[in-house]
Amino acid sequence: MRKINMRQAIIEALSEEMERDPKTVLFGEDVGKFGGVFGATKGLHDKFGERVFDTPIAETTIVGAAVGMALTGLRPIPELQFGDFVGIAFDEVYNKLGKWRWMHGGTMDMPVTLRLPIGIAGGSGPEHSQSPQALFMHGPGLHIVVPSTPYDAKGLLKTAIRNNDAVLFFEHKVLYDMKGEVPEEEYLIPLGKADVKREGSDVTILATALQVHTALKAAKTLAENGVEAEVVDLRSLAPLDKETILTSVRKTGRVVIVHEEPKTGGSGAEIAAQISEEAMFDLQAPIKRIGSPDVPIAQSIYLEQFYRPSEEQIVTTVNELMEY
Amino acid sequence: MAQIYKKDVDVSSYTKETLHDFYRTMIKIRKFDQHLIRLMQEGKVSGFYHSGIGSEGLSAGSIRNVLRDEDYIFYNHRGCNQKIAKGVPLSKLYGDFLGTTEGTTRGLGAGIVHSADVSRGVLGQAGTIGSQFNLAVGTAYSAKIQGTDRVTLCYFGDGAASREPLHGSLNWAGVYKLPVIYICENNEYAISCHHTETHSVKEHIADWAGGYGIANYVVDGNDTLLVNEVVKEAVERAKKGEGPTFIEAQTFRHRGHYEGDPYDYVPAEVLQDWKENRDPVKNFKKQLMENGICSEGEFADIDHAVEAEILEAIEVAEKAPLPDPKRIYEGLFS
Repeated sequence: MRKINMRQAIIEALSEEMERDPKTVLFGEDVGKFGGVFGATKGLHDKFGERVFDTPIAETTIVGAAVGMALTGLRPIPELQFGDFVGIAFDEVYNKLGKWRWMHGGTMDMPVTLRLPIGIAGGSGPEHSQSPQALFMHGPGLHIVVPSTPYDAKGLLKTAIRNNDAVLFFEHKVLYDMKGEVPEEEYLIPLGKADVKREGSDVTILATALQVHTALKAAKTLAENGVEAEVVDLRSLAPLDKETILTSVRKTGRVVIVHEEPKTGGSGAEIAAQISEEAMFDLQAPIKRIGSPDVPIAQSIYLEQFYRPSEEQIVTTVNELMEY
Repeated sequence: MAQIYKKDVDVSSYTKETLHDFYRTMIKIRKFDQHLIRLMQEGKVSGFYHSGIGSEGLSAGSIRNVLRDEDYIFYNHRGCNQKIAKGVPLSKLYGDFLGTTEGTTRGLGAGIVHSADVSRGVLGQAGTIGSQFNLAVGTAYSAKIQGTDRVTLCYFGDGAASREPLHGSLNWAGVYKLPVIYICENNEYAISCHHTETHSVKEHIADWAGGYGIANYVVDGNDTLLVNEVVKEAVERAKKGEGPTFIEAQTFRHRGHYEGDPYDYVPAEVLQDWKENRDPVKNFKKQLMENGICSEGEFADIDHAVEAEILEAIEVAEKAPLPDPKRIYEGLFS
């Protein structure tokens, strides 16, 4: 099968869905003729003209306008240049995108797919490197998608665009260049379904985005020492695929949750709580979380590596759990 | 500097039917409000209510005879006025306040905010005041790109004008020449703060729109026909693709910000002047009488008919059941 990177997979998904549905519009800062600061919308302006347009630097307006467009028959795909900027549009995301439909009686649709690049990627500093997705697990009405491979990114993004509800689509910047197998023919991946990326019997590693790959590397190292780790790529944080998570946990009895979000209040906190509520007596060891330290992300390329969960951390943590 | 909109409006250029409709709408708004306050006093309606008494002329004049069902509005914090003018059934609005399934939200308990009637272009309102500015450029963009001639009216008060989204919204509307009309219902006070205390530009809020290259006017918001004229021009401009208009309509609220507000921050003589000399309903009635459009008897007939309509609407709303507790789980997703 052909191999393409996640950037190309995203462009293909956007292009195919825009071709399929003339009601789709794509907009954001520099997404038009420039093709996006990460190149994830390259060529789309040439292909779709005014349906792909550059906006003023105004995140509040970008998301707010998307809400208005969605209520009146369009299928908007706004982009926030950096996921960190979602703070500027917090009211629009948290109170409008997720709640407008419900609070007005459920009579309107909200087919918005908001794309947000996340993650540490080469000295971008504390306001351009974050992974804020857990903030929105707390807000009803939002789907949260976090793909880890080109295959998943394409299939999930296409589903997200066709969905009549609001979807926050988080893309890790490091993954844009990562290649993977993507079929030529069309396929869709349902939202809210986790994917077991590696089967194992001793420990479950739950991960998202770049950390799925770190977990897979760690699993390989662990296997060399006779420990079989199951790596579950959550893919969606909302809805959370509890069934897949609990099935794996019940099988292995040990859990490590890995993410690049600060550990305190990160998505792992919620997932750990849900596991302990439902599968406490299937566990042979405490649930462990590996997250970023609870401090802002340093600009220094040297220092920023210490915020990203490493293969070594995962291996060490799993080995600790195996002692129980 | 904003232009003060002046025009000698010839009452005879309006049909008697249209003029009666303006009056009927204004009376409906006022009586709706008075009955709602009564229901609150009877303990049947909880929460905050922001009375629209005093600005009926602005709501009726900017909607009746100029907007169609398919035109969009985002109403403001005194928005029952605008919802009534846009034709949302009264029983549905009372149902929202009473929390019964008759309400537009089928029992979720919407009040001034969160009622919606998509079939009449009433797309809702946000509790975080002023966040409709950006949604309005979205709906206007939608009309433009879909090639319809639908116009979006975005209502807000002088207080909401302070919100940052207004400026993002004005910039977009100007950049993309969107068919959106901003109607600032300037009733001078944002709860207790006079707009000159909180706005850097003291004279006219409409001046801000001038800074974005957007046509802007200041109009006497209590002159129903004058409001109608300026909005008609704005709608024409929008439909011709000439972009947005900003209208600052000057008015005043007869009651406090919410029911229970002692309203002691407004000098008594100022309030008295607005109530006695600048009441939009009283003045419009006078205008129609003087022009021989309507007799005392005809006014009385309209008043009685509206009163009956309101009492019936309240009965329908009150008789409807409260929602099943499961209601809160419905409508979050499509």
